Amino acid sequence: MTTPATHRARAIGGRVLRQLRADPRFVAVSLVIPLVIIFLLKVFFDAIDVPMFDQTRFAVPGAAFIVHFVTYILTALVLVRERVGGTMERMFINGYRQLEIIGGYLAAYTVLATWQSLLILTWVAFLFDLGYPIVVYTQIYLVVWLLSVLSMALGILVSNFARTEGQVIPFIPLIVVPSVFLSGMIVAVDELPGWAQVLARFTPLFYANEVLQEIIDGGSLGDAWRPFVALPLLTLAVLVVASRTLREGR
Amino acid sequence: MTNHPAIRARGIRKSFGSIDALAGVELEVAAGQIFGLIGPNGAGKTTLMRTLVGALQPDSGEVAVLGLDPMAHRREVRACLGYMPQDPALYEDLSARVNVRFFAAAHVHNPAERAVASLSFVGLADRADYPVHTLSGGMKQRVSLACALAHQPDLLFLDEPTAGIDPKQREVFWDGFRELTAAGKTMVVSTHQMSEALECDRVAIMQAGRVLIAEDPQTLLERGRATIRIWRHGRSEEIVVDNYSVELPRLLADRGGVERVEVQRETLEQIVLRMVNDDNAGHA
Repeated sequence: MTTPATHRARAIGGRVLRQLRADPRFVAVSLVIPLVIIFLLKVFFDAIDVPMFDQTRFAVPGAAFIVHFVTYILTALVLVRERVGGTMERMFINGYRQLEIIGGYLAAYTVLATWQSLLILTWVAFLFDLGYPIVVYTQIYLVVWLLSVLSMALGILVSNFARTEGQVIPFIPLIVVPSVFLSGMIVAVDELPGWAQVLARFTPLFYANEVLQEIIDGGSLGDAWRPFVALPLLTLAVLVVASRTLREGR
Repeated sequence: MTNHPAIRARGIRKSFGSIDALAGVELEVAAGQIFGLIGPNGAGKTTLMRTLVGALQPDSGEVAVLGLDPMAHRREVRACLGYMPQDPALYEDLSARVNVRFFAAAHVHNPAERAVASLSFVGLADRADYPVHTLSGGMKQRVSLACALAHQPDLLFLDEPTAGIDPKQREVFWDGFRELTAAGKTMVVSTHQMSEALECDRVAIMQAGRVLIAEDPQTLLERGRATIRIWRHGRSEEIVVDNYSVELPRLLADRGGVERVEVQRETLEQIVLRMVNDDNAGHA
């Protein structure tokens, strides 16, 4: 007697969503903290007040970075908590399988990420008075949403290599810091040394930033289709590795 | 009904670094039995259970659970087994009902109904909608048992199911276990309580990663030593014998004028301790 994989993945997704509902503080923190950070970013940009400095060029990539950062850490921590509490092993012994667990988590957290991306972009548009046409916002939203799904996949992958919540901490700067310096947000990737340009291709934010800059400059997703397609492809690649490395034990 | 035993283990070895958690376990569990695992902490009871449920790959040896290798046939084996870990391993922020329903959903199409039935079985129907973190330790254990039972598995592995719960609740648990085996289930239960070991159909004493002996509890008790004190002619004599039922008639027949006889038999706990100590001394 057994149930189909889709049924089991849905059961996991449903359970994770129930946990989110049962923990409004967690949801509130994951939604509100990015808004506070973006507000502080705005205060910082206003204080710089350099002539010719176009805040709006940094606002959207900055928001994308914050979505990436927060989603990645929260997903990693939640999954490690599952491992530490013994429920990961129990799920496996009870018959749930790697792909179902990853699929269920991804589905549930995508709901959270969908709202988080929407809230953050609305906040950025309001604070920085972006005034883009709706089609531009839609494209930006799609990119940020894809980035957040990729960030979740990375969080799932990283959680496979940590046995305690504490062990997640060293992985945070490992992913986040190179993202800032190598993604092209601060310095153009072309100006980096050759090896760093190669390394940049492994940071999700590099692709997101490429597409976002194109859209902000008046282009479309079609103009930046390569980095745009790279986001779901990279997500798929990370998920394949994550499902292969997801272990049963603690 | 198949002819093979529910569990068969041959020479299972499992090491963690330099520690031999299992050092050649030999075991056979017949279907429909309550099989007890007893032994000191670190004897390998939990490692053995986790190996039998396919959570650990043994370094060597053969394991057959319901006739199948639990690693090679995980899907088939896991559909037929229920596992209750030592720690409750529940989602504390969710209700008892949601926990049981979730674990049942891996196997059955009617998890909601199974959750109700399973929580009723463990006597928690009235607490079904309480978040697990609001329940007592004993209640959490019962929720955990309900999770293991929900998909009506043929084979149950319960790792110290009554640890930390009071004697009255323990009695409730064991009533439930007997009900389950009466319905044809096979159960492997680890425990530190000798009173519980006596309730099992067979008991394996584990020590240093091996099964020292696996017998039914009455046979184990009969293997225990007895201290026989015989009074005759106003004096007493103390004799320690291994096989009391054979030795006592012989001793009495050899001695005339016996005025009084007192027999003190080893308890199961003393037998286990002696076997473990003898094994330790043998390996020292």
